[in-house]
Amino acid sequence: MEALQRINLKFYLEDPASLSAQEAFRIFNSWIPTTPAEVLIDVADYSHLADGPLTLLVGHEANYSLDNHHAELGLLYSRKQPADGDLTQRLASAFTAALTACRRLEEEPSLAGNVTFRRGDVLLVANDRLNAPNDEAGENALRAALAPVLAQLFADAEYTVERDPAPQLRLNLRIRCPAAANTAALLGNLAA
Amino acid sequence: MGAASSWKEQLAGQMPAELAGEIDTFETQIHLRKQGKMEEKLFAETRLRRGVYGQRYDNGQRYDGTQTQQIHFPEHQTKGPDTVWHAPGMMRIKIPFGGLTAQQMEVLADVAEEYSEEILHVTTRQDFQIHFVHLEDTPDLMRRLAAVGITTREACGNSVRNVTACPLSGVCRTETFDVTPYAQAAMRFLLGHPDCQDFGRKFKIAFSGCQHEACGLTNMHDLGGIAAVKTIDGQEKRGFALYVGGGLGAVPHQAQLFDEFIPAEELLPIAQAIARVFARLGEKKNRNRARIKFLVAKLGIEEFRRLVWEERAILPADPRWTAFLDDLHATDEQPLKPGQALNGAVASAGFAEWHRTNVYAQRQEGYAVATVVLPLGDITSTQLRSLAAISRHYVRETVRTTVEQNLVLRWVRQTDLPHLYDELVGLGLAESGAGTIADVTACPGTDTCKLGIASSRGLAAQLRQRLGEENGQLNEAVEALRIKISGCFNSCGQHHAADIGFYGNSRKINGITVPHFQVVLGGQWRENAGSFGLATGAVPSKNIPEVVARLAKHFVAERTADETFKGFITRIGKRQVKAMLEDLTQVPSHEENSWYYQDWGDTREFTMDDLGKGECAGEVVSITTMEIAAAEREVFEAQVAFDEGQLAAAWQTALGAMLRAARALVKEQFYDVPETPEVVVAEFRARFYDSELFSPKFANYLFAAHQDPPGELTKAPVHRFIEEAQLFIEGAYTCYDKIAVPAGATA
Repeated sequence: MEALQRINLKFYLEDPASLSAQEAFRIFNSWIPTTPAEVLIDVADYSHLADGPLTLLVGHEANYSLDNHHAELGLLYSRKQPADGDLTQRLASAFTAALTACRRLEEEPSLAGNVTFRRGDVLLVANDRLNAPNDEAGENALRAALAPVLAQLFADAEYTVERDPAPQLRLNLRIRCPAAANTAALLGNLAA
Repeated sequence: MGAASSWKEQLAGQMPAELAGEIDTFETQIHLRKQGKMEEKLFAETRLRRGVYGQRYDNGQRYDGTQTQQIHFPEHQTKGPDTVWHAPGMMRIKIPFGGLTAQQMEVLADVAEEYSEEILHVTTRQDFQIHFVHLEDTPDLMRRLAAVGITTREACGNSVRNVTACPLSGVCRTETFDVTPYAQAAMRFLLGHPDCQDFGRKFKIAFSGCQHEACGLTNMHDLGGIAAVKTIDGQEKRGFALYVGGGLGAVPHQAQLFDEFIPAEELLPIAQAIARVFARLGEKKNRNRARIKFLVAKLGIEEFRRLVWEERAILPADPRWTAFLDDLHATDEQPLKPGQALNGAVASAGFAEWHRTNVYAQRQEGYAVATVVLPLGDITSTQLRSLAAISRHYVRETVRTTVEQNLVLRWVRQTDLPHLYDELVGLGLAESGAGTIADVTACPGTDTCKLGIASSRGLAAQLRQRLGEENGQLNEAVEALRIKISGCFNSCGQHHAADIGFYGNSRKINGITVPHFQVVLGGQWRENAGSFGLATGAVPSKNIPEVVARLAKHFVAERTADETFKGFITRIGKRQVKAMLEDLTQVPSHEENSWYYQDWGDTREFTMDDLGKGECAGEVVSITTMEIAAAEREVFEAQVAFDEGQLAAAWQTALGAMLRAARALVKEQFYDVPETPEVVVAEFRARFYDSELFSPKFANYLFAAHQDPPGELTKAPVHRFIEEAQLFIEGAYTCYDKIAVPAGATA
């Protein structure tokens, strides 16, 4: 598990109607020249597909997409390149990057504050079937590495973690924290 | 998964040894290139021949709507000319005759999730493509595919590409016979064949079961076989009407009949002889005239045919030519359930329309082929995985991709069709309109292709949406038309063979570039792409939907009884068509309407500045250079074995490298030189040592090692021998520089 580098995180939109694929396409395009901290390459439109990424911002280190998998619209962050630190540190980095993108959307002037993300509901997918099998051992190892990150993220509030054990799926954890703060506060927790 | 630390370890023993070795070799080549030990063009062609393709913006720059910006990839290493190492690329995955199993679909879904963006794209040649893949991920991706019998080898580059075939082969009501086993045999025989490694351009093969349907589109292929039978000595024999020299591209050529009946046992040797003639005489320097269609046109079919038969006569016999004929039923499919006619079973709303357009009754009673329409050829990992489960439940994993970028499920019991439809609805895959005007085909265009000029997918999405809204209400004659779109003149969208075709170009309006599409009308999809359409004028991209609407309206109103679209266009003439569309060619000024200055599916102002150098043509690297480079890699592997203390392996690998380089040089003069070391050394001595073309000092390293193999091996002499092998390789490069005929000089 320690070798896991490809980490996906999905934060769900409070209101699926608040962000269309076309708006996401325009906004993601605007991010390419205005995000010097990351190498962003191109935007792809898959809004003709029913189940998956509708709009994809392709980067070198990570991709971002407006994702509609299982008809649940949200922002999916997919880390691709190896990151520094141990797995716990890499998970923390992924949460920071994903939440930063969420906050950027929430603060996007053209969306007039209509976009907000569901509090305390996030999907973590270990995008690596070799190093992170979707079984009990995999779950335990990932949860152990994740626990310090979630404690910090949710400021020690209670949370639940649930895994879908379907064998064809990648190792996945749906994390829910009813008392979670908003995006900006979560980022603040991680930075503290 | 087990406790393996790598896919190589995890899948050890699950891949054919040869394929596993090739992938290991490619991984080594990636390391060599990264260390600067492999020349850029050579690595590019090597990469292409493994299906690893470049993608738009991989030159490290992108237009942002106002100016071209640098993409600041880490490191400045390249993986080909003007191709940045870290830029993500496309992986093309060969699916011979489009045949897929459920397990293969599942692994394709897995690799698209882990290495790409969860989207798979079916191409116009029955391949899959996944995009935004990082080079370092490709060896593992290949291993996972290889473990389920899929290769990416020769999916790109100057090689024999995917062998395609009619997706109805074996179940078609009008076919002469099932071409599937012949397509598979051709694919297996020609994959990696030494006679197919020195082409100036790619080589595409297709098989059809019928003359008059579209089937495999043999008329637009480099080599096409249409099933035929002939009675010889009172016995009915199978064979093929063989066509050669077809192709689309900027200059489309209809294939010419090579022979009206090539017996099945001659199919592979004739293909091999054609490959040899193409490799020997085909253009190598001018990439725009390097396809075999230009060679056939230049020589004339008579002379080309004579040369091929002459070559056929001297081919060393190969048991593989006929071995497959003993097992022609190996590709036969069996139904999962007994056949049963539909007989008006109750079904959901929407089923009747889907059944009308997407279901084909097989010649086997009670069974049907169901087409799953993939919008723009795309399917998500989740959908493909679910479809794999469906293919186990309803059929015996009998699935094929199509050249119209869809999937078909074969052998569906007709009474199962309503349930299948319901399941497809649940997956978002139950769109009707397969094979109709709304089922628009498009190449990747500016979305991902380096050569794309205009957005073929953006336009296709627009047309699909508009025509889809009229689904079921279109005039029957209009509904049957086909629209195909290419992002540029290179014709990957096969626009020449459509009733209504478009290819991307641009026009300057008051100094500002406007995306346009050339309108190509009157092509023929049936009769194996029986004729090609003619360009009638460029129209701004944003007016193309109106072009389609207007053509359809005039066709319905003015066609004579049973007149085809091709017949209609021919009858009214180009002048009248041009007049019909004249007002649509006008572009308002930027100030009046800037919408025209953006392409479909893009928010940026249109530009041609993102156009890159295509890799479709591959790099012209001679087979000799490729072989000497492979020998050099073997010296590297010898060094690795030495470092790991495997002295015997190191010595053998180094000697093998010298023999490989020597044989590469000998092949320049004696093409069919056997691989036997004694013969290679003798021929090398006679041709290069005695003639003093090769450094005698370096040549003696080979002679000594060959004549006097060492007894007990110790570190110092093995180390020295590896160095000698490296010097021998240097000598081979130098020698080849002396003897090589410049590329294209013989064409």
